[in-house]
Amino acid sequence: MLILILIWLLIGMLVGLLATAARLQPSSWSRRVWLYMAGIGAAMAFCGGLLGTFIVGRYFATATALWIAVMGVVLLPRVVSLRKSQKTT
Amino acid sequence: MEEIRAGASPAPTSHKETQPGEQHPTIAKRRKRRWVAALARVLLLLLFIGGFVLSMLPWGRAVARSTQILPALITASEPASLIATGEPIGHTQMTVPSKSGPVYLDIYAPTSPTPLLPGTRGGALIIPGAGDNRQVPQLINLSESLARSGLVVMNMTTQIMMNYTISVEDTDAVVQAFKALTHLPGMTQNRAGIIAFSAGVPLACFGAADPRIRDEVAYVAVFGGYFDTESVLRAFGRRAVTADGKTEPWYPAEVPIQVLTNVITQTFSPQDRTLITNALPNGTPLTQGEFAQLSPQAQAAYQLLTGNAPDKVDQNIAALSPAVHVQLDELSPSKIIDRIRAPFFLLHDRNDTSVPFTESRAFAAALARLHHPYEYVEFHIFDHVEVRSNLALNQELTDGSRLFDILTRLLLADS
Repeated sequence: MLILILIWLLIGMLVGLLATAARLQPSSWSRRVWLYMAGIGAAMAFCGGLLGTFIVGRYFATATALWIAVMGVVLLPRVVSLRKSQKTT
Repeated sequence: MEEIRAGASPAPTSHKETQPGEQHPTIAKRRKRRWVAALARVLLLLLFIGGFVLSMLPWGRAVARSTQILPALITASEPASLIATGEPIGHTQMTVPSKSGPVYLDIYAPTSPTPLLPGTRGGALIIPGAGDNRQVPQLINLSESLARSGLVVMNMTTQIMMNYTISVEDTDAVVQAFKALTHLPGMTQNRAGIIAFSAGVPLACFGAADPRIRDEVAYVAVFGGYFDTESVLRAFGRRAVTADGKTEPWYPAEVPIQVLTNVITQTFSPQDRTLITNALPNGTPLTQGEFAQLSPQAQAAYQLLTGNAPDKVDQNIAALSPAVHVQLDELSPSKIIDRIRAPFFLLHDRNDTSVPFTESRAFAAALARLHHPYEYVEFHIFDHVEVRSNLALNQELTDGSRLFDILTRLLLADS
């Protein structure tokens, strides 16, 4: 299981870096963007992997981790910045 | 909501002067960045779609399973990626009673909890054929690979099969094994099919036709099996098969001769049976005196099994007793295929020396006539039902793609 979790984290980090290259981060993020995005990707992949294990089984958990990580790096930064802007207004 | 940065960053000023007709370096840089961002977005989209399909949709899950099971089959060993990302598995043994005696079951199953989504944990009952195959490395490899992909695999055998013979009495054994499989923990909401090899094929068909389970069987996959016992006997007697209008030599291996000998001689007198079974498949051939001691039907059977009278095949088959003809009929899947509801997956190696490939062709033709759903694939990479070693790359690629295709369809039927 430890190897599998490491694989999920690695996939998530790569997805996060890819999202940085795709410039999916909010414009207010200017410092260490790649690090935040990789962190979000890894965290989402981990959650996705665990969720996948329960819903579709361990064999399909890696694929679940992948699409949830992508969804996470696309949506999470936007949600965070949206909430931030709502607080400031 | 804040603006997303793609292409939104202000262009840094450049102090380098550009010549007329030359592109400004900052513009070129920005264009390059836009391309990289667009490419990364497309990649992310593909990864999202790929991940979602391979985990959430039944056909995607079937593809995901085949992708890792195929290398395991072709290389006859589990790839490291399958071990790392697959289910943790356990092996247990159990016995269930049946009308023909105890059924010996080897279960390879994931040890993790059953997934919540129904259809993700299918089952497969494997009937490996005549003899005790429970320790055959390729069978264990197949069972473990399927189990690591999330399936519950049950290998069955009976005393009759271990004695290198086939009997319709074992039909109940197949039914009991299938029921045991579908009643295992976690299998209540999932489907199961039957995979049979060689001499296990008729039993798979008889079981799948049985009213007690026929509506529950998701598929019947038959590999290297026969369709009609009499036509197999004819091929043995002729030492030749006819395909595509051409007759070609065909020399059977020892094990199928032994199985057919055991089947045919069941109704013979003890003396006839002893003489023939001692001489076949690789014993000392009968002397003229011993041959003369045999009854006419035993002489006919001996000539059919040894293939030493290829011109007298029809007469020799006609000389077999009505009891033998009834037995040959009973053991033919051709007699009961119209009672099976599950789709068929037929696989056969073109150079099979245990059962002629023409049997699976006849099987497929009969299914086509009945408009019964089926898939039929011929291979060149197997030695009967086991993968040959030292395969050429083009063979691996050609047959590998066919195997991938049929494996995916089979696993989809399980989902």
